[in-house]
Amino acid sequence: MEHTTGIKTLADLKRIQEEVRTRISLRDKAENPESLVQVKVAMATCGIASGAKEVMEFFALELDKRGIDAVVTQTGCMGYCFAEPTVEITLPGHDPMVFGYVNPKKADEIIERYIKNGELVDGIIPQNYNTIES
Amino acid sequence: MVTLAMHMIDIVQNSLRAQADMVTITLDERGDESFLLFRVEDDGTGMDRISLERLTDPFFTTRTTRRVGLGIPFLKMTCEQTGGSLRVASTEGEGTTVEALYRTDNPDCLPLGDLVGSLLLLVMANPAIRFRFNYRMGEEMFRFDSGDLREQGIDLQHPQMLLPVKEYIRENLEALWRHRAAASYLC
Repeated sequence: MEHTTGIKTLADLKRIQEEVRTRISLRDKAENPESLVQVKVAMATCGIASGAKEVMEFFALELDKRGIDAVVTQTGCMGYCFAEPTVEITLPGHDPMVFGYVNPKKADEIIERYIKNGELVDGIIPQNYNTIES
Repeated sequence: MVTLAMHMIDIVQNSLRAQADMVTITLDERGDESFLLFRVEDDGTGMDRISLERLTDPFFTTRTTRRVGLGIPFLKMTCEQTGGSLRVASTEGEGTTVEALYRTDNPDCLPLGDLVGSLLLLVMANPAIRFRFNYRMGEEMFRFDSGDLREQGIDLQHPQMLLPVKEYIRENLEALWRHRAAASYLC
């Protein structure tokens, strides 16, 4: 993203919007969220205090920069306050996976390894246990 | 919470949980009286009298994932440590207003922090909610209304619009901040 300067009025903003629109637009997110990577950042008191805002900003900007079609959104406390900031990632067709102690560096690793290649990385919080019923 | 921006995300989160459709955030700097008023109003479910009474109790929460609720108690603490106060009004079925008054002539007054970035993340993550953000400095005021911008064709969900919109708000706020009294500890 090139550095933008001097955006002061609504007209400036509209001009930028036109530029963005002419670039390849890939999203009709709302219509089919299941086909996209979903990133949910826990943003309750515990998450915010440990830096969830920076993590969410990183995911929003970097996923777009790296050409990954994703929806970045926020959620409340998942009960893992000890491991904040926590992020829940759902790859299309997979169960949600929760990662703890996420900072921008960890987020970078999650994007490169888990989101792009499906490799598991350190910091997974076992969230749901499936039992085999006979 | 070390900045007002963090409190903003936190308190707005309460409004979102209360199923609000519209959230109005107001920051009102009064240089002559040395205070900053921080207000979050929503049209969510509101609270009954008993919840309202227990609101500043850190061991009161409506959630089930943990047994503490620290958002409001922290806000109360940070405004009271400057000599200010917290006021919460709520009507069931109509909505809630949280108002924190900070003394800006007290060195314990919190810095604003990344107000703009925090606001835009809230806007981006909650497309169904209309966010109004008003920043008043004395006689002058900057208004941001996510509903108006959407009507003007600005796509606030597009990640590539995040930085330009951020720049737009920041430019306007910086113009206001130039009027801040030299004695204010707010930064």
